[in-house]
Amino acid sequence: MRIIVCLKPVPDPKHWSRLALDPKTGTLIREGIPNIINPLDRKALEAALQLREREGGEVITLSMAPPSAMPVLREGLAMGADLSIFLTDSAFAGSDALATSYIMGTAIRKLARYDLILCGDQTLDGSTSLVSAQIAEFLGIPNLMHVTAIEVQKSGVFHVRSQIERGSMLVEIKAPLVLSVAKEINEPRYITLMNILEGEKKEIRVWSSRDLSLSEPWVGLKGSPSQMADLFIREAKRKVEILQGDRSEMTKILADRLHRMGYC
Amino acid sequence: MDFKLSEREELLRKSMREFAEKEIPPRMEGMEETGEFPVDLLKKMGDVGILGVITPQEYGGTGMGNLARIIILEEMGRVCPAIPMALQVHHMATYALTKFGNEEQKKKYLPPLAKGETMGVMAVTDPSGGSDVAGIKTSAKLEGDVYILNGRKCFITNSHFSDFWVVVARTGEGGRGLSAFIVEKNFPGAKPGRKENKVGLRGANTGELVFQNCPVPKANLLGHEGEGMNIAIQDIVEAGRPGMASVALGILNAVLEQAVKFANERSLYGKPINTLQAIQWHIADIYADLEISRLLVYRVGWMRDNNIRCDTESALAKQFACEAAARSARKAIEIHGSYGVMKEYPVQRLLRDALVTIPAGGTGEIAKLVMARHALNMFK
Amino acid sequence: MQSEIWVFAEQRQGELVEVGLELLGKALELAHPAGWKVASVLVGHASENALCEQLLSYGADEVIVVDHPLLGSYCSQSYARILGKLVRDYNPKVFLLGATAMGSDLGARLAARLRTGLSAHCIGLELSQEKKLLAVVPGWGGNVLARIYSPHTQPQMATVMPGVFDMPQEKEATGRIVPVDVDLNPEDVTYQILEVKREAGQEQALEKAEVIIAGGWGIGSREDWELVGDLASALHGMVGATRPPVDEGWAKENQMIGQSGRMIHPKLYIGIGISGEMHHMVGIQNADFIIAVNRDPEADIFKMCDLGIVGDFKEILPGLTKEIREKLQK
Repeated sequence: MRIIVCLKPVPDPKHWSRLALDPKTGTLIREGIPNIINPLDRKALEAALQLREREGGEVITLSMAPPSAMPVLREGLAMGADLSIFLTDSAFAGSDALATSYIMGTAIRKLARYDLILCGDQTLDGSTSLVSAQIAEFLGIPNLMHVTAIEVQKSGVFHVRSQIERGSMLVEIKAPLVLSVAKEINEPRYITLMNILEGEKKEIRVWSSRDLSLSEPWVGLKGSPSQMADLFIREAKRKVEILQGDRSEMTKILADRLHRMGYC
Repeated sequence: MDFKLSEREELLRKSMREFAEKEIPPRMEGMEETGEFPVDLLKKMGDVGILGVITPQEYGGTGMGNLARIIILEEMGRVCPAIPMALQVHHMATYALTKFGNEEQKKKYLPPLAKGETMGVMAVTDPSGGSDVAGIKTSAKLEGDVYILNGRKCFITNSHFSDFWVVVARTGEGGRGLSAFIVEKNFPGAKPGRKENKVGLRGANTGELVFQNCPVPKANLLGHEGEGMNIAIQDIVEAGRPGMASVALGILNAVLEQAVKFANERSLYGKPINTLQAIQWHIADIYADLEISRLLVYRVGWMRDNNIRCDTESALAKQFACEAAARSARKAIEIHGSYGVMKEYPVQRLLRDALVTIPAGGTGEIAKLVMARHALNMFK
Repeated sequence: MQSEIWVFAEQRQGELVEVGLELLGKALELAHPAGWKVASVLVGHASENALCEQLLSYGADEVIVVDHPLLGSYCSQSYARILGKLVRDYNPKVFLLGATAMGSDLGARLAARLRTGLSAHCIGLELSQEKKLLAVVPGWGGNVLARIYSPHTQPQMATVMPGVFDMPQEKEATGRIVPVDVDLNPEDVTYQILEVKREAGQEQALEKAEVIIAGGWGIGSREDWELVGDLASALHGMVGATRPPVDEGWAKENQMIGQSGRMIHPKLYIGIGISGEMHHMVGIQNADFIIAVNRDPEADIFKMCDLGIVGDFKEILPGLTKEIREKLQK
């Protein structure tokens, strides 16, 4: 079984207090902040490794990032992936979820054979949760999100548990497919010292736009329909909405609010 | 001169920090109460590679080296200093076996240590001599094919959690009359004795080993007869002192973190106390102690990995880092005010931990003798 | 089809999900000053008539109904195909969905299929002077807010968090129902839902709990502390406490939240009779949504919560717990 895991390097949340807004471009300055593997992507990789242990096959990580992301990709190899594909090119800069999904989908097509593509439900920084489903749409294959369990029934057929509001569903779905995982799916393994040494011997294969047959208007800023009108850092994080007055009315409002948020 | 850690070392630190932060805190309360090492953690540590970091790959380790070892101990110590105290003595045993053992001994004793089936023990200190290694009285008399061991070893770390120990005993006269042996717990007449009740580094078990006419086969002589003093001293210099210094480094990290957290959150006179100059100076002193200690200890790791002799640097790192840990922990307690001496707050434990590092693995006074001897010969 | 704004009317177990109605209300609010119309889009099989009437009663100008046996059970690939064709045929300017499990998934695939921009998990929507949809989106764990728009592609899409907008008022229905025929083959349905499970809350550590109800010194007595437990159990959540209730013995040490206790990151935290001292607040700062109930309008916690109720918990909690239990039974 060939499993492709999408790994995104994201700025380490422990250092987010150092994030600053560039007043000229209106974008966040990420330099100098160390990266980690997006936590849900790590869980996706762990799920892939567990599947490889049960069913055999290979695990390939796929990442689209600037060159500074190398150490994070090496970490993915140390965790146990067999090969890392690194998509990097200044032409990719500024890509939104759609352009990113297009570029990654094109790279996956270049790998030709794949049974399962695994992603994390969302990233710590952009948190759009769009990429896994959009990659599936580009490749014309089925997808499921919020996955908490993956079982191979027989060759090419999976039974997958996917979370829905206040519950879950069990779905039968065939390869090739895309699954994005929720945080409940597993606890990723520790990277051992032996793993670190072995990871150093594995390949990080770099592909730029020359290696992929991409349609130029569909990548980078040009290929990103979503644009930022403006960006501001929240000073007071909380909404601070205060209700006063009639007890039974407030009780009703509160109950209704909780209901609409999905708690009852 | 490159002061940066390599990518490998950065990844090692990352994964060690993750392991320490997840696995150690749930066990800390029990460790503080009972003073015992959490043995269930041993196998996990073996699996991750912590126990075999300086053991060659053919005997079950990774051979990643001394700087890697220091980083591991520092990250464990940042969460709970008792853990690297136990680990560093374990490594001292693997060091002695790797450097001085013959092929049979290495094949037999190194793999179980690397895997975490048992803990390593380096038993040098006698009631009659710790700093005075030549004062050791525990005797090993050759009778036919066995050495008969008699005596007691005290203040031995991991004494009660180990299946075999490296023991230094007297086979002849004077400093050249000491030899090292591998003694198994199941040899008749060998057993752990009393358990010590330390004020700090609780969770690194410390106790006595007792030998009463214990027969040790000739095959278990480590190195040659008379090599015991050399083995003990090299072990201390190359593994023991950097190991203890790394424990102190872990303490320093924790001390700074606690002090800064408290200074940033505690408000007096309407603002956080981090705005008060006196507090800022304390913090600066602790920061300096941490950075200096780290440079000294990492240098020893680097020298060892590059096969450069480092007796003096090792003594300096140990002496300085342990004193710095105690000094900074005390400052951190003062930053906390009355909260600092309440058991609920971790900072008082850090001072107690630091105090135990000072005599352990070689006293500061002996370290100073080493440094003085070196310095006095510098300008000839 | 005349409508410029389309809103996906999500349904679950034969009933309309509120977020589809909340978005319908917001869409109408945005549409009318622009001279636009709003359509609700219903996809499924059978049992749609009552739902269509409902959507009209909430003010939809049109209800587009796609009914096909193979659409009876949700499947993202087939739904995206069907909606993609519909959108290409009729060209709405805006397409909105709730940021639910279904909506997030479907919206993403649909946006890719249509090669258009989608703003996800929005907490606000505006229409600019040039009639472009501006979506307010949180990022970086909620520390940063961005306004996103897709000026060059159509439809402009967004998924919106449930509970952000209010439910619209019901009024006299003036819109029309527009049924649409579609072609679908069994191979177009690319997965089978074998089973749906509804889960109740489970015993777990406070740090992992998604719903936490905490009580403070203001609770006053062991008897009244039970009201905290009742509310927690009704919401399938766990009970937390500040230091004083633990000292008093109303709560256990391992329930204490704060600097010297637990650090929690629930989706929902409700603090009752808690003043909001820093010691405790550092323990809850990572909660997604903080509700506070306190008698004292000057309590510090009211400066650091999302929703504050000024009132006596003894007069609010019993009624609240009862209403919650009733809603859950439905």
